[in-house]
Amino acid sequence: MRRFSINRLTSRLGAALLLGLLIGTVPARALCAERAATLEELQQKLDQSLKAIQELTERVRELEARQSGAAAGAAPAAGESSAPSAPEPTRLEAVEQQLEQLETANASRANDETGMPLHGFADVGVGTHNPINPDLEGFFVGNLDFYLTPRLSDRGRALFEMNTEVGAEGAVGVDLERAQIGYQLADQATLWLGRFHSPYGYVNTALHHGAWVNNSLRRPGFLQFEDSGGIVPAHTVGLWITGAPRVGSGKVQYDAYVGNSQQIIDGVLDMRNAGNAHGNLIVGGRLGYLFNAGAVEGLTLGVHAFNARIGDNAVPANMTRVFSYGGYAVYDTEQWENIAEVYLFDDEDLSGTSGTHHSHAGFVQLGYHASWGVPYARYELTSLDQADNYFAAQTSGFSYHRSALGLRFDLSADAAVKLELADTQLTDRSRIQYTQGLMQYAIRF
Amino acid sequence: MSWLLGTALLALSLRAAAGDVYVVCNMGVNLQAGDIRDVFVGEKSFAGTARLAPADNSAAQAAFLEKVMKLDARKYATLWTKKSFRDGANPPPVRATDAEAIAYVRQTPGGCSYVLRAPASGVVVVAKY
Repeated sequence: MRRFSINRLTSRLGAALLLGLLIGTVPARALCAERAATLEELQQKLDQSLKAIQELTERVRELEARQSGAAAGAAPAAGESSAPSAPEPTRLEAVEQQLEQLETANASRANDETGMPLHGFADVGVGTHNPINPDLEGFFVGNLDFYLTPRLSDRGRALFEMNTEVGAEGAVGVDLERAQIGYQLADQATLWLGRFHSPYGYVNTALHHGAWVNNSLRRPGFLQFEDSGGIVPAHTVGLWITGAPRVGSGKVQYDAYVGNSQQIIDGVLDMRNAGNAHGNLIVGGRLGYLFNAGAVEGLTLGVHAFNARIGDNAVPANMTRVFSYGGYAVYDTEQWENIAEVYLFDDEDLSGTSGTHHSHAGFVQLGYHASWGVPYARYELTSLDQADNYFAAQTSGFSYHRSALGLRFDLSADAAVKLELADTQLTDRSRIQYTQGLMQYAIRF
Repeated sequence: MSWLLGTALLALSLRAAAGDVYVVCNMGVNLQAGDIRDVFVGEKSFAGTARLAPADNSAAQAAFLEKVMKLDARKYATLWTKKSFRDGANPPPVRATDAEAIAYVRQTPGGCSYVLRAPASGVVVVAKY
């Protein structure tokens, strides 16, 4: 390209000079010898022009030489190649090879997954009545929840969840909510040992203490955790096997568990982390089917039950055989999150003569994933026999019904604001009715 | 008529620009294409006796999520958040480029990932989308 530019310059100048020469010589011939002086002058001009061409050509060559010298010097400075004259493809291949080596080394480093993932959730809020303790009002600190899922061997699994929560007196407590170590027998079976969320219904295992994961502002009252007003054992310390083998176009979801029978201590269910005094067990299970195709894709239907001997710390202590069973339905799709759960109780008084008591509880929640948020509506109801020692001994063992309308706005991928307006009517121990306006700001990290 | 032709050409060019996604696994992995989704959402952890070790590839993730998982990135992340606290499972580690993903799959027993360029030897192509 550079060589071509020199040739082109030379040829153009030559053509101009030739033209000038022709123009100059025609008049000279016409005027013959009298104009010899003029011809001599023209000859001098031609010589000068040829000399100028020669100088220009040399100057161009000199500039080209300088430019290629600078390019040759720059290549080693960049450290890409010590041979500036190497063909272009060879240099590209070398760079590509180096890049691949770097990426391979990086991938090898990244394979060393020795860190332990730490995740967490937190929420704060304000309300006309506290969502857990309706006697309180104003601003409140919710939960600060951490869960750890350390990477173990090929089949080992572990999950620990620690929750910091504020009690009715404002004191901060830390609970080890889950401490379960598992072994994955196969894709369809994992065995867990430790403290886990008792597998019944949908909410108790699908959600946990982090408020962000729940589209609604709070769980149904009777399904709250034990120290937050729940009346069903939300945690069990024991052994749990779970899995979801594919059957047809869907999956069968099964759970079976056995653990320490809970005890009611000072009006609150306790899951007996260290074992119980009498060796009584809770035994339970859940069986459901998730439809993965067709018109009912996203629908899960299931049943659940548990049986336990649960006493309290009254003097003399009461002992009740608690037999709970029921069903649940979940319709979880891109648009809908609809949940319904029913619990029936046939409890037998083992320490007295009051016989068998029947109670029930349940809720229905409809949620819709709109582009701007998730509006939801929920109705929950409990009808608990107060002659049943199991409910009578619990501070929250009263009957009630509650209607709630709520809204969730996702501010970002990890932050949500929720609003709820709820009306609660207590129906046995007292007839108190109250309306709650609640706001919650929940995050995950 | 000309605008129709133009639209068709534009659509074809966009489709070509989206490119193919190759799901690749370590040579020791025998996996069916129908299992890929379950592998990347943590529902399938074993192929025979081999423990699967999927890895995401951020360079190809958008195309993979759209074509294979039928999810967007936000839903995929939320799905793993829920999966993690329910089952104690961890989301796949993330590689930054095709070359890193291929290197990971080659070096990791049970390793699986996805790339935008047809891979050279040393990995098994489970499916192309």
